[in-house]
Amino acid sequence: MMHMSDTPAIRIENLGRVYKTRGTRRERHQTKERVALCDVNLEVPRGEFFGLLGPNGAGKTSLIKILVTLLAPTTGRARVAGFDVVENPHQVRPRINMVSGGESSGYGLLTVRENLWMFSQFYGIDNKTARGRIDELLEIVHLKDRANTKSSDLSTGLRQKMNIVRGFLTDPEVIFLDEPTLGLDVGAARDVRNFIRNWMLAQSGRTTLLTTHYMAEADDLCDRVAIINEGRVLACDSPSNLKRRLRQEAIFHMEVSALNGTLDAFQKLPGVRKVVHTALDDKSQLEFILDADDAISGVISALTAHRAQILNLQKREPTLEDVFVDLVGMSLAEAEKKQS
Amino acid sequence: MKGIIRRSFAPAAWLGWQVESNWASPLLFLAFSVLKPVAGVLILVFMYNTVSRAGTSAPIYGYIYLGNALYVYVGTVMAGTSYSILEDRERYRVLKYLYIAPINIPVYLFGRATPRFLAGSLAAAITIFFGIVFFKVPVHLTLVNWPLFLTALMLGVVCLAGMGIVLGSWTLTLRTQPWFLGESTAAALYLFSGALFPLTLLPRFLQPIGYLMPITYWLELMRRALLGPAAAVFPTLATLSNAQLFLILGVQTAFFLGLAFVAFRFFDRIARDKGLIDALSDF
Amino acid sequence: MNAPIAFAAAKTTRPDSGWRLFLRTIVARAYPRVVGQQREKAWLFFETFIPFVAIVSYVYVYRALDAPPDYIGFVVIGGAMTAFWINVMWNMSAQLYWEKDNGNLPLYIIAPNSLMAILLGMALGGMLATTLRAIVIVGLGTLLFHVPFALSSAAELAVIFVLSMAALYGLGMMLASVFLLHGRNAFQIVSALQEPVYFITGFYFPIRSFGFTLAVAVSAIPLTLGLDAMRQLMFASGPTLGLLSVRMEMAILAVLAIVFVYTAKLWLDHMERRAVQEGALTDRRR
Repeated sequence: MMHMSDTPAIRIENLGRVYKTRGTRRERHQTKERVALCDVNLEVPRGEFFGLLGPNGAGKTSLIKILVTLLAPTTGRARVAGFDVVENPHQVRPRINMVSGGESSGYGLLTVRENLWMFSQFYGIDNKTARGRIDELLEIVHLKDRANTKSSDLSTGLRQKMNIVRGFLTDPEVIFLDEPTLGLDVGAARDVRNFIRNWMLAQSGRTTLLTTHYMAEADDLCDRVAIINEGRVLACDSPSNLKRRLRQEAIFHMEVSALNGTLDAFQKLPGVRKVVHTALDDKSQLEFILDADDAISGVISALTAHRAQILNLQKREPTLEDVFVDLVGMSLAEAEKKQS
Repeated sequence: MKGIIRRSFAPAAWLGWQVESNWASPLLFLAFSVLKPVAGVLILVFMYNTVSRAGTSAPIYGYIYLGNALYVYVGTVMAGTSYSILEDRERYRVLKYLYIAPINIPVYLFGRATPRFLAGSLAAAITIFFGIVFFKVPVHLTLVNWPLFLTALMLGVVCLAGMGIVLGSWTLTLRTQPWFLGESTAAALYLFSGALFPLTLLPRFLQPIGYLMPITYWLELMRRALLGPAAAVFPTLATLSNAQLFLILGVQTAFFLGLAFVAFRFFDRIARDKGLIDALSDF
Repeated sequence: MNAPIAFAAAKTTRPDSGWRLFLRTIVARAYPRVVGQQREKAWLFFETFIPFVAIVSYVYVYRALDAPPDYIGFVVIGGAMTAFWINVMWNMSAQLYWEKDNGNLPLYIIAPNSLMAILLGMALGGMLATTLRAIVIVGLGTLLFHVPFALSSAAELAVIFVLSMAALYGLGMMLASVFLLHGRNAFQIVSALQEPVYFITGFYFPIRSFGFTLAVAVSAIPLTLGLDAMRQLMFASGPTLGLLSVRMEMAILAVLAIVFVYTAKLWLDHMERRAVQEGALTDRRR
């Protein structure tokens, strides 16, 4: 007999989601389809901290909405905590919770403590337990001194901390975090990441699915990461294994004087796998993924021929951003631009 | 002046039109434009028919019907202007951006009120049409004093917009029930404007409130334009000529326009002090 | 932020489910409304005095028509009952539309509670203001206009009131499910139908004025029969102007209450499923 602890926290099989959208007023009768997710297959065992990494518009939020029973898939199926999200949503809901970045939940006229108490009641938590958890969590996120402040009087960062507490207050088996540090300053984002990490460490059965487009966040927190773009999962492995794919290659970061013209000339150089160009005010940033170190000499010669002055040259270890570039062929920022 | 109109009034009128005309279904829009005003007046028609033996030829019938039909402008223009502030603050959450833009907010609100005036005109026209065709309201289109009607309409609507800005500015300082302020005020003014019954029916000590209301004089002018001599049956304002009514309404309009700009500054300061420009009144 | 979080797991009790969760949810959702009203008291004026003043306009219409005194009473009672209609429509049914707008609706859906409990909590929370509004209208109306009440049976009146409320709130929950899926459209429909409902429900005049057949047809709106029965029980001329007997109207209201509440449960489940299919729960454009 399979024990509940053997069943994966999340199982996704051939999942797809297509949105039908109406056009502008003139195109009112034309229905367009937008593919948000296509043939997604993932399995997250219990106790794992799983990351979903991709640019805006990649399908991360659509996937989370399906898993938390807010949205039905068009094709395929998904199971959370052992229950089908479409057939048994009422079995899924007591076991999960969700926190979204930039969320404005609760009511402005209620205090932090009152808002949190209210949400705890929707999960059937008795008052004594709710009070205890609220106090404990507010203490941990450094919000206890603002417990009796109306939530409308909180800054964005503090409000997000309140939302984080709201999500964890119910002690879910699986928690879904949709860009939880969006819009937070560096310090607050660090606090939130530490909080999440410690929550996972406290009990072995807890599972987290985090979506983010901050590579460093996924690298820092996640046991495994799935890279998603245009609704498809391109790779899924631990951050170190994903980066290891690029270890044979050499990655160079350069700053040069402003480049005019296309990058075709550089892309065609022997040994150059990928080049990403970011134009700044008076200079250009170039990221080169090369087959081997010695290909750099060809790049330098080409730059000299283009009368570009090299301001900075560094060889660095591959990051998840590099993995993304390798898989997709463009940087995260370029992928987001393309989506919009 | 050109700059104010170009930056503040024109975009606001365009935006107001986008909001008012953003109906998911034209059928729904028609239902809203026809059903709502006609049902409102049907309540009164049935109240009348249930108790009155005098029939539709009695002057009071036309009085009640037209008062109610024209009162729709109070809802759409006056209440609607205050509603626009709330919409921009709470639903569309753009009020803070408007504040920091180089526009004149009261003029912007006038612009937002313009499409509501058009919507109100449609509702009023439909109600009066139904009244003439189906409910035997004694209005003969060939006998209507159109210059009087149109002039009084324009002046009254400007006055209502000014009153709406006063209300809307006050709305900014409220956190609870702000959505009902405009409608509630319109509902309360129903009593003191002679819309449904002559002011002389009110207790003596309340009648002065009605005489202070610009809506009272505006409705009188509009009834005179539509009903002609039949409007003079009621003694409330019968001793005043059209010119005198225009003078009173004109002075009140000027007063409310001035009050609108003053009130806006006053409540605006309070709203800023309390940090309410981007507040949400949700619970 | 480095301490592990275990919630003192050994002491944690099992969360409530079933009826206990249902009741907890009602109380929790009523809380923001009740507390909000205590924290900003402007509603006392806008929710009580202003509506009373609006009702007085209709009183004076009847006075202008030299209507019998009982008709003044009809307006007062009808005006008081509009408070409950507004509470159901705008504080409950349409509230789901606002909750989607402010981001709370998804959080309500993914919680294990019942949407019916959320709706009841909203309605209950608004009850304080609603009841006060009704009391002010009846109290002041009676005092100022000397309404000639002739109460024939307080017990029957109480039963009629309770059944009308049960049926009305059931209807409100049915409409809330429509809001869940159709959002903006539904909001505009309810707004457009406010005056037509006031008209066909006969808030201010006896429904018998429509003729028997049409009056029976509109009796599906609970307040139609509720008000008709109240008039028969509270005013001397009520029985002669009533549509059906009080007992008959009581029976119909009881059936409506059961049917509406049951249908509300079915519709809420169905509409939620459809909203999940279409992605309408988080789409703020709908």
